[in-house]
Amino acid sequence: MSDKTVKIYEKDLHDATSKQRFVKVGVQVLIYAFLILMAIIIIFPFYWMLISSVKSLEEYKQTIPSLFPKEILWSNYVEAFNQASLGRLFMNTLYVGIVSTLLSLVITVLSAFAFARLEFKGKNALFAALLATMMIPGELFTITNYATVNSFGWMESFEVLIIPFLVSVFYIYLLRQNFMQIPNELYLAAKVDGTGDLKYLWKVMIPLALPTLISITILKMMGAWNSYVWPRLVANDEAHRLITNGLRNAFTESTGDVNIPVQMAAVAIVSFPLFLVFVFLRKYIMKGVSRSGIKG
Amino acid sequence: MVESKHQWKAWLYLSPAIVLLLIFTVWPIINTLRMAFLEGYSTMGAVGGITYNFGIGNFKQVLQYKDFISCLTNTMLLCVLTVPLSTILALLIAVCLNAIKPLQRFLQTVFFLPYVTNSIAIGMVFAAMFNMVGSAFGGENEIIITAGIINNVIEFFGGERVNWINSGSSYLANITVMVIYIVWNALPFKILILLGGLQSINKQYYDAAKVDGTSRVRVFTKITVPLLSPMLAYVVITGFIGGFKEYSSIVGIFGDDMGPTGDPRRLNTMVGFIYDSLANHQGRASAAALILFCIIFVVTMINLYVSKKKTHY
Amino acid sequence: MKRILTAVVLLITLCMNCFMFASCKDSAVAPDFVVPEGGYDGSEVTIKFYHTMGANLREVLERYIVEFNKLYPNIHIEHEQVGSYDDVRDQIKTQITVGNQPHIAYCYPDHVALYNLAKAVVPLDDLIASDITVSRNDGTTETLGLTEAQIADFIKGYYEEGKQFGDGKMYTLPLSKSTEVLYYNKTFFAANNLTPPTTWEEMEDVCAKIKAIDPDSIPLGYDSESNWFITMCEQYGTEYTSATGEHFLFDNEQNRNFVEKFREWYQKGYVTTKELSGGYTSELFKMDSAEKGNSYMSIGSSAGATHQRPDKVNEAYPFEVGITTIPQVNASAPKVISQGPSLCIFKKSNAQEVLASWLFVKYLTTTVEFQAEFSMASGYVPVIKSVGDNAVYKSEFLDKADGGDFISALSAKICLEQESAYYTSPAFNGSSTARDQVGLLMQKCLSAEAGADVKAMIKKAFEDAVSECKYQSN
Repeated sequence: MSDKTVKIYEKDLHDATSKQRFVKVGVQVLIYAFLILMAIIIIFPFYWMLISSVKSLEEYKQTIPSLFPKEILWSNYVEAFNQASLGRLFMNTLYVGIVSTLLSLVITVLSAFAFARLEFKGKNALFAALLATMMIPGELFTITNYATVNSFGWMESFEVLIIPFLVSVFYIYLLRQNFMQIPNELYLAAKVDGTGDLKYLWKVMIPLALPTLISITILKMMGAWNSYVWPRLVANDEAHRLITNGLRNAFTESTGDVNIPVQMAAVAIVSFPLFLVFVFLRKYIMKGVSRSGIKG
Repeated sequence: MVESKHQWKAWLYLSPAIVLLLIFTVWPIINTLRMAFLEGYSTMGAVGGITYNFGIGNFKQVLQYKDFISCLTNTMLLCVLTVPLSTILALLIAVCLNAIKPLQRFLQTVFFLPYVTNSIAIGMVFAAMFNMVGSAFGGENEIIITAGIINNVIEFFGGERVNWINSGSSYLANITVMVIYIVWNALPFKILILLGGLQSINKQYYDAAKVDGTSRVRVFTKITVPLLSPMLAYVVITGFIGGFKEYSSIVGIFGDDMGPTGDPRRLNTMVGFIYDSLANHQGRASAAALILFCIIFVVTMINLYVSKKKTHY
Repeated sequence: MKRILTAVVLLITLCMNCFMFASCKDSAVAPDFVVPEGGYDGSEVTIKFYHTMGANLREVLERYIVEFNKLYPNIHIEHEQVGSYDDVRDQIKTQITVGNQPHIAYCYPDHVALYNLAKAVVPLDDLIASDITVSRNDGTTETLGLTEAQIADFIKGYYEEGKQFGDGKMYTLPLSKSTEVLYYNKTFFAANNLTPPTTWEEMEDVCAKIKAIDPDSIPLGYDSESNWFITMCEQYGTEYTSATGEHFLFDNEQNRNFVEKFREWYQKGYVTTKELSGGYTSELFKMDSAEKGNSYMSIGSSAGATHQRPDKVNEAYPFEVGITTIPQVNASAPKVISQGPSLCIFKKSNAQEVLASWLFVKYLTTTVEFQAEFSMASGYVPVIKSVGDNAVYKSEFLDKADGGDFISALSAKICLEQESAYYTSPAFNGSSTARDQVGLLMQKCLSAEAGADVKAMIKKAFEDAVSECKYQSN
């Protein structure tokens, strides 16, 4: 087929479908309009948080709120950082986040592997029982767990922030679904070759399930970042305090008058690392989380 | 031989998880059951040396409580409204996102933003957007100081201002605000999963449809939705489970009173009810939690049953 | 599906088996405290103190801990700002169940009633009455208990608050107090020849006059709906709650009547409250009078005086603030609420820890310099009368009182003048529910759509509130 015939063919096609093309452009415009409208709705509260964080207290309290701050007060950020001694809180949170994520990954991988690849009595019943626990409102565990960790002598320690939440049934479920998609033949072949379970896990399963593992990591880190009720209860001392608590404590004065712009600035500072992680690892999160949806 | 080796290996791998779950999940569940069946149980009282009788008194009290039905209906109503709405919106957004090239990545990031925030803080922002400041709303001497940014927008387009969340506001207006906020909150997760599902659909199906000249609507209902059905089922089921545990979003908007000024607890939910009781009546809270568990269990079973019939793998 | 069902059934049977043996544990309560013969023996103890102080108050506290340690070097005070009052209560409540509560805590009477379900708070009567002599590190001695002069120095209403628990025992000592005062726009009142009202009748009059001058204003803001209701009960002498017998007595004819009257006020635009206006009423009070919805009077905490002062415009306050006693039913027998933190001490198995805690509590509540500095830093009023004679407190604070820069001093001064008017309401398990419920009741009765039959709506609201109180407290 020469170039010329192709061109003619395309031209015919073009004429025939110009009406369709018109429709298509229209549809595209509609799609963009819809998406951008939704995007504005989604983003507005964040915008509100950001502009509030640079307003002066007087301007924030204005009865008719201004959409753009009259003057930008970056000093709110400096004040927020100092007032909440964010440096220490960051380090604590990072430590708890990293250690609990690592331990949690090990436990999750081993359990998911057992559920996905090994045969043992009562496997399905056990797995179903685990899933059933997800339906119970977690708040109810607090009273009993508090008594438990206290009897272990773990109050005001990093253990108490890390250990009780190492096992997440949800993560085991996610990873098991992911492992199930890896063909069993690979495992059987490895067995024939005499490769051990752990080596097989390390060399084959983990690389294949990497996106899920990364998304678990991120979710777990976010958990450490956002946890509030439990840490406040068990480790609200200077040496172990986590970021959300620190924020709240720093902005609760006895008279109840809170400088909201400074608080908003602090929230923005705290949200920023998570936001960065999210933007850069978006691909992995998407892959990980969306895979869990396949085959319930 | 291999079988038995598998057996102990499996239990070995599972042991860390099982030990931790026994301590921090199973034991609390048992303790919850215990507290639920000790009539009038409270931990403070127990420490003070009071003993409690075994019985179903807690369940009776919960079921006979004047606000129990309203907690239940609020929870159900919010579920029934927000789950379909957020699923449909998420599906639309996901399909649209999948259909565009420029700006796709940017918009994706925007739609995932609510995922990385503290829901109580953002709830406060929402509340500020709907809040009216003033006095005697709806009366002859109504004085409005600020109508809130949402009302400002409505009035800008020539609409009538609405009393969304303040004293004297209607149940309908309250529920509307809640639905908007909950849907806003629920969208990112759903879009994430549905978009992932869309991108994994084999392009050949669409190419075939194009050759046949199938209309867009038909492609959507006959190809996209069926192939996406496992993800849709997943999103709906987790949506319902989450919906029955709705609580912090309402605190975000209405504060601890769980309702507009002058009518507190109007929007209270099952989990809110459990929290209220948890402070001083642990027995009642446990009983309510068991009731909630049973409801979620039944609904999930129904969901699974329906999705088994409708889902195409 | 069948599998899941079996699993759940299994799990439940397992649980059923377990709680047979589980139901016979609990009880971690410390023994009742008995004052040891020798008093505090100087032993090394660490005392945990939970409070809600902001950074400026913590700084004052820390300086006086250093002073205290000059007297008792072996008593180590570890203090911690736990968060808000509710945070303190919630944390201690959980800690009591396992026996690791702090030694001392900021408290409201309601909290103590709650802690006492577990019998966790030390009654102070034996300690106060003790005449054991304790030697201090600087060579001096002090009596373990309170001397008669010390007891007489406390402002009576504040001191009595520690005995509001229905069993006649004393559980708390007041640390710093506040009450409600009426803030008014002195400049506006002078310009329009108005006098600040002393009774509710006069208040209605003043509101009507202000409405005539500025129809777009809401003349009066009342911050706390709960305080309003409880104070009205106290002023009318009608029943609110009782620590013994039937607790919830507030559903009566007279109470419904005053609520109905205030509903009329609200509907006429005379008055608003914090919840009804959607923010602290001080915000309305501080607003420029040209704006819609501003107030000319505001009833709020005496500790929040600086929040009632308008922001400076061109280096000057736009108007002067006047402060006076809140309106009364009977101006010759005034009643004002007493609020602000008290201190309670928790039971511990080591009696020396309790003694050390008591010495510290006593130190904070009876040391004139601490009380004076704490008052100046916080805006709360001191709990002992002799602070008024303190030279620094007088010259640097009270004497400078005005409606501008030294507004805190002005409010403290007004509080000190009405020391005989303080009342407290009974505290029992459920008193905080009653407090919440009457606040909500006020909001509802003032603002709800009532149709033709206002009385019926109000009656229903009262009945609901009582039934909710009963449900919450049984």
